[in-house]
Amino acid sequence: MISSPFIPRVPLSSSSSSSSSSSSGPVMLPYLSNYPRPKRNDFKSRNLAFMPLKCIHNSRFDSSSESDARLPSFSASCLTATEATLASSDLVADRLRRVVAEFRSLPEPIDRVKRLLHYAALLSPLGDSARAPENRVTGCTTQVWVEAELDKLGRVRFRADSDSEISKGFCSCLIYMLDGAEPEEVVKVKSEDLADLNVGLHGKAHSRVNTWHNVLIAMQKRTTALLAGSE
Amino acid sequence: MPSTLLQLCCSAMETLAPKLPSLKVLNPSSSSSSPSCSTARSSSSLRAGLRRPFSLSISASAVREGDPAVGSVSLGHVTRTDFPILHQEVNGSKLVYLDNAATSQKPTAVLKALQNYYEAYNSNVHRGIHFLSSKATDAYELARKKVAAFINASESTEIVFTKNATEAINLVAYSWGLSTLKPEDEVVLTIAEHHSAIVPWQLVAQKTGAVLKFVNLDETESPDIEKLRQMLSRKTKIVVVHHVSNMLASVLPIEEIVLWAHDVGAKVLVDACQSVPHMAVNVQDLDADFLVASSHKMCGPTGMGFLYGKRELLSAMPPFLGGGEMISDVFLDHSTYAEPPSRFEAGTPAIGEAIGLGAAIDYLSGIGMQKIHEYELELAKYLYENLLSVPNIRIYGPVPSGNTNRAALCSFNVENIHPTDIATFLDQQHGVAIRSGHHCAQPLHRYLGVNASARASLYFYNTKEDVDDFVRALNDTVSFFTSFK
Ligand SMILES: Cc1ncc(COP(=O)(O)O)c(C=O)c1O
Repeated sequence: MISSPFIPRVPLSSSSSSSSSSSSGPVMLPYLSNYPRPKRNDFKSRNLAFMPLKCIHNSRFDSSSESDARLPSFSASCLTATEATLASSDLVADRLRRVVAEFRSLPEPIDRVKRLLHYAALLSPLGDSARAPENRVTGCTTQVWVEAELDKLGRVRFRADSDSEISKGFCSCLIYMLDGAEPEEVVKVKSEDLADLNVGLHGKAHSRVNTWHNVLIAMQKRTTALLAGSE
Repeated sequence: MPSTLLQLCCSAMETLAPKLPSLKVLNPSSSSSSPSCSTARSSSSLRAGLRRPFSLSISASAVREGDPAVGSVSLGHVTRTDFPILHQEVNGSKLVYLDNAATSQKPTAVLKALQNYYEAYNSNVHRGIHFLSSKATDAYELARKKVAAFINASESTEIVFTKNATEAINLVAYSWGLSTLKPEDEVVLTIAEHHSAIVPWQLVAQKTGAVLKFVNLDETESPDIEKLRQMLSRKTKIVVVHHVSNMLASVLPIEEIVLWAHDVGAKVLVDACQSVPHMAVNVQDLDADFLVASSHKMCGPTGMGFLYGKRELLSAMPPFLGGGEMISDVFLDHSTYAEPPSRFEAGTPAIGEAIGLGAAIDYLSGIGMQKIHEYELELAKYLYENLLSVPNIRIYGPVPSGNTNRAALCSFNVENIHPTDIATFLDQQHGVAIRSGHHCAQPLHRYLGVNASARASLYFYNTKEDVDDFVRALNDTVSFFTSFK
């Protein structure tokens, strides 16, 4: 394991094998392993500015350990630093596809909930100061806070938190998809694209309790505001 | 065992119903308000949609009295069969619907009434002279009579149809409030009011300079009625209170509050959204000045609610919305307004929905509101006592006791688990539908020091088995999240 200052805060499931299948167990997706590594100095600057976070160490788990998400420490599906990369324009769409595919591969609701809780556990909590009213995402039945800033390369960096574990799981996935992306890419994502992620909220893309939708919109609004502010 | 009883009971109902000689006579409300339709065809088609509830009450009691072995079949078991929606699986589990305070399900009788209206006599009301229009008008006005009879208003013109309770409250706030309230006048409410009873008065207070005064909870976690009494003065112009709290399950003594308010010359608006569907409410006994409720919470369609207002009050009130229906004569610079209730029903009303509400009222009356109330008190107690067994649970509202009855709902939190996570898991894993959030009562949640709560709310078609399923599922949910920590 190459030690790198960049530790992805929200790694989703990764696997050494890139073949996902429709076998009975949960399908693990080879999240970022196929993607080009970022140039070293790229992420050095960025992540020093914005990444305190808890180290999620790599585990090349097999699907049986992953499926028991009650044991998050075992199932922590982490990426090695070598596999990590920052989202760039084409990666957002790809990550979205992968997250959708991952949740689709879990036919049992309880497994989807477990997966969300698993990702929730990987999201580092925001400090009390960031849990400020101005960071609140409106319209959720839970409290969700989103913070966004532009890094030196003009990419958007997100942090989020919630008082609900499931909402935190949603945030975790969204951050995985959007953190480090170009602002234009963030703004481009449509909430319909997230429909398949609707764990517990089937087909209610426009429901006022749809946390996916509300958090995405909040992230996009913050991004637009950042762009306007930086011009 | 219950399922065989249920089947037995259902088949008894099926066979009994067609044999009844005259369904009409057996319905308490139909004798006072017999269909005013002019043709045999129309009255029979109207009644057709209403047949089921009558057969229900009869068959239910026939089964009870006739066969002691089935005497233990609860009202929930008997009536469940009238609600097709309840018989389905959700996320692979049998649906347990416990979100009735948000909205109720609709019995077949109501669905049929709606379908029959659209199939047989859909037409605009109060304007056409043709056959269908007069038939639709009769049915629409009959629905108004049914509502009036249901809450014992002295005349049906005291019933204004609105799209829901929220609109009814806005109607009073904007029409009565804007024309009556002056700076320094006081509107007294409780912190347990639904947003729909708070926000309209905030808007009107901003415009008029009136002041809103809120009553807190007492140590039993019910609105403090002693404080409410002390808050009343000659400055008080209206008291706006719920009858039954949608979060605390507490019941306010409206009769007393009305006496106190009238003593200082104030009016009283009762938000009866959570009482009218569940118990007999008599506006004349309460002597309430205004009372509102929503059709969708009482087995009727959405898009329909009503305002009861004392005749002399409604007659003195200016219109709320302008348009067709509500005018007497329109000139280019002014108009004269129709008498209530038309004055407050601008535009084409929700005709089918009003008729559907009428059918819902027939259905409820066929069972009997007293019977519904008694059964729900039993369910309420059962729910509360069984929920208490869940580890680290906090149930809001008064503790039930000899003289404190709770409505059949419980808002609660389980330590360290977000209520939305609980509701999501209950739905996903157990097919149990409950509500999570602030239930449109943010001030109350703030007072209780929480952001959100979970709420299970029952109706007469729920059973103790539903409660058992729910409590079992909740225990499983709690251990799931606890094991994850
Ligand atoms: C006590 C109370 N008041 C008012 C309302 C508002 O009803 P509606 O949304 O049908 O207007 C509700 C419904 O949630 C309620 O429970």
